[in-house]
Amino acid sequence: MSERPDQAERREDILAGSLLMIFSILWVAVVWSTVPVGEGVGPRAFPLWLGVALVVLSVLLLLKGLRGVYPAVEEAEYAVEPPVSIVLRLSLVVAVCVIIAVYGFLMQKIGFLPATVITVAATLIFGLGERRPLVIIGMALGIAVGAWAAFGQLLGAYMPPGTWITLF
Amino acid sequence: MDLFLTAAQIALSPASILAVLSGCLLGVVFGAIPGLTFTVAMALVVPMSFSLDTAPAIALLLGTYIGGMTGGSVSAILLGIPGTPSAAATVLDGYQLTRRGKASLALGTAVVASAFGGIISLIVMVLSVDLVAKLALQFGPAETFGLLVFGLSTICGLAQGSLLKGLIAGVLGLLVMTVGIDEMSGLQRLTFGTVVMQQGVSLLVAMIALFAVPHVIDAFVLYYAEDRKRKDKVMNVRAELPTVRDIGRDFWLMLRCALLGTGIGAIPGTGGPIAAFLAYAHARKSSKTPERFGKGEMAGVVAPETANNAVTGGAMIPLLSLGIPGDPATAILLSGLLIHGLIPGPMLFLMNPGEIYQIYIAIVMAYIAVVAIQLVGIRFFVQVLRVPAHLLAVGVIVMCAYGAFAIRNSVFDVVSVAVLGALAYGLSRVRIPLTPIILGLVLGPAIEREFRTALILSEGSPTVFVSTVPGIFFLGLAALIVGTQVLRAIRATVNAQKEKEQPRASVTPSE
Repeated sequence: MSERPDQAERREDILAGSLLMIFSILWVAVVWSTVPVGEGVGPRAFPLWLGVALVVLSVLLLLKGLRGVYPAVEEAEYAVEPPVSIVLRLSLVVAVCVIIAVYGFLMQKIGFLPATVITVAATLIFGLGERRPLVIIGMALGIAVGAWAAFGQLLGAYMPPGTWITLF
Repeated sequence: MDLFLTAAQIALSPASILAVLSGCLLGVVFGAIPGLTFTVAMALVVPMSFSLDTAPAIALLLGTYIGGMTGGSVSAILLGIPGTPSAAATVLDGYQLTRRGKASLALGTAVVASAFGGIISLIVMVLSVDLVAKLALQFGPAETFGLLVFGLSTICGLAQGSLLKGLIAGVLGLLVMTVGIDEMSGLQRLTFGTVVMQQGVSLLVAMIALFAVPHVIDAFVLYYAEDRKRKDKVMNVRAELPTVRDIGRDFWLMLRCALLGTGIGAIPGTGGPIAAFLAYAHARKSSKTPERFGKGEMAGVVAPETANNAVTGGAMIPLLSLGIPGDPATAILLSGLLIHGLIPGPMLFLMNPGEIYQIYIAIVMAYIAVVAIQLVGIRFFVQVLRVPAHLLAVGVIVMCAYGAFAIRNSVFDVVSVAVLGALAYGLSRVRIPLTPIILGLVLGPAIEREFRTALILSEGSPTVFVSTVPGIFFLGLAALIVGTQVLRAIRATVNAQKEKEQPRASVTPSE
C-alpha cells in the first residue's frame, strides 16, 4: 500500500465531510424553500433541524480531516484490503446498480421467469466472466425456477407475469 | 380451567399444528433470506389465512411472526446481512464470528437464545398483561418521545470508532424518513411533486439497499481482486449447539435481555430493532471485555437475539390489551386477527377468553417448532455458504430486486434499492456505519410524531418533556449516554494530540 492507513482515513474523512456538507446545505435550502412552516412545530421543523444538524456534523468531520490528529494505525489492525483500482470499483458499483434496475424493469415487462433467467445468465457471463455452461445454465434455471416455485407456487406470492409477453 | 382445556384442544388440533409449522418454516426462510423480511412473509400469509378457521389462522400468523424473528439471525450471522431489522444488531458480532470460523456455534447459540427470550417473554406477558397495559396507558407522547430519544442515543455506543460518524449516520437516517407526506399536516415534504415519493422511503427498500446491495458489490469486488481466502473457513462449518456451560455463563445476561426485550416490546412504537440494540449496548457495557465486542464476541449475538425474540411476547401485551400494534409486523398480525372477528383491546379478554388461551398456546408451539426447524435447518443453511460468495451474490441480486418489487409491485422500489444501495456502499467505503442509519430510519417517524403531538397537547410548552418521572428518566439517560461519549471522544483526541507531540519533542529525528 502506497499510503499509510491513517492518511487514507484522513482522506476519507475530508471526502465524506465535504460531500455530506454539500448535500446537507442543499437539503436545508430545498427544505427552506419548498416546505411550508406551518403552525408551532410544523412540517418544516424536523427536516430543517436535522438538516442543520447534518451541516454542523459534516463541517466537524471536514475540520477533523483537515486539522485533526490521526493516531497512527498499525498495518495489522487496519483491515487489509485487496488492491482494487478505483475505476474497477466504481464500475462494479455502477454495474450492480444497472443489473438490479434493469432486472426490475425486465421483471415487469417480460415476467419473473424469463427476466430472472436472462439476468442471472447475463450477470454470470458478462459480469463475472463465467464460462462453464453447466454453472451458467444450472444457476440461471435453478434460481429462476426455484424462486418461482417457492414464492409463487408454494407461498402464492405475486410473480410479475410480464406486460409485453405472457408465458404463464 | 375448562376454558383452557377446550382452547388447548382446538390449538393442538392437527390443522393448527400444521399451520404453526408452515408459518414457522415460512417465517424462518423469509427471515433468513436477505432482502425478504418476515413482514413481507406476514403480509403474504394474511390473505392465505382468510380461508382457514380461527385457530389455525392465529397459529399460522404467530408462527410466521416468531419464525421470522428467529430466522433473521441466520443471514445476519452467515452473510452479515440482517434478514430483518431486528437482526441488525446481531450482525455486529455474529458476522465477525463467521469470519473467525465460528458460524455454527453462533447459529446454535442464536437459536437457543431466541427460544429462551421468547419463552421468558411469554411468561412475563401472561403474568403481567393487565398491569403493563395500565402502565403503558399512562405513557403520553412526551414520555414516548423520551423513550425513543433514549433508544436513538444508543447510536453513540454502537458507532464503532467514531462518535461523529455514528451521529452523522443517525441523523442521515432520521433525515431520509422525513421525505413524503407529513402525517400530521398532510403536506408534502421533499417529494418534488412526484406521486412515488409521497409514501416516502420504504423501510424495506432502505433495509435491502443498506445491507444487501453493499454486500453484493463487496462480493464482486473481492472476486475481481481474486481474494479466495475466505473460502477455506467456510468449508469447515458444521452444526454446533452451545454447551450447557456456555449457556450457563450467559444465563443472567440472557435473563436480563429477555426482560429488557419484553419491556421494550410492550411499549408501542418501539420493537425488535431498538430492543436488540439496547441489549447489545447493555451486553457491551456490562461485559468484562467490552473491547472484544464488534470483533466476534458470543455475548454480542446472545444479547440481541434474546431481546428481539422477547419483543414478540412484549409486543403482544399492548396489541392484545390495548389494540395498539408496536411495529409493521404486529400491525399485520392485528389485521389478521380482525379478519377472524377478534378485536384486540380490553374487551377481548372479556369476549374471547378462549382465543386468548389459543394465542398463548400457539406462541409456545411456535417456539418449539422454530427450535426444531432451526436445528434441522441450520445444516441446510450452512450449505448455502459453500456456494462461492460471488455466485451467492448473483442469487442475492435476484432476492433484492424481487424483494423490493414484492413490497408493492413497483419497479420504482427496485430502482430505489439500486440507487440507495450504491449510496450505502459509498458511505461504508468512507467508514460511516450503516446500523445507526437503520435505527434513525426505524425511529424517525415515531420521534417526530410523538414530539409534535406532545407539544400540541401542551400548547407549545416544551416543559412537557420533563414534567413526568418517565420523561425525565428517559431523556436524562439519553443525555447521560451522549454526554459520556462526547467526553470520551474529546479525551481521546487530547491524548492523541499529546502522543503526537511527545515523540517529536524527544526523539525520532530520522523522519
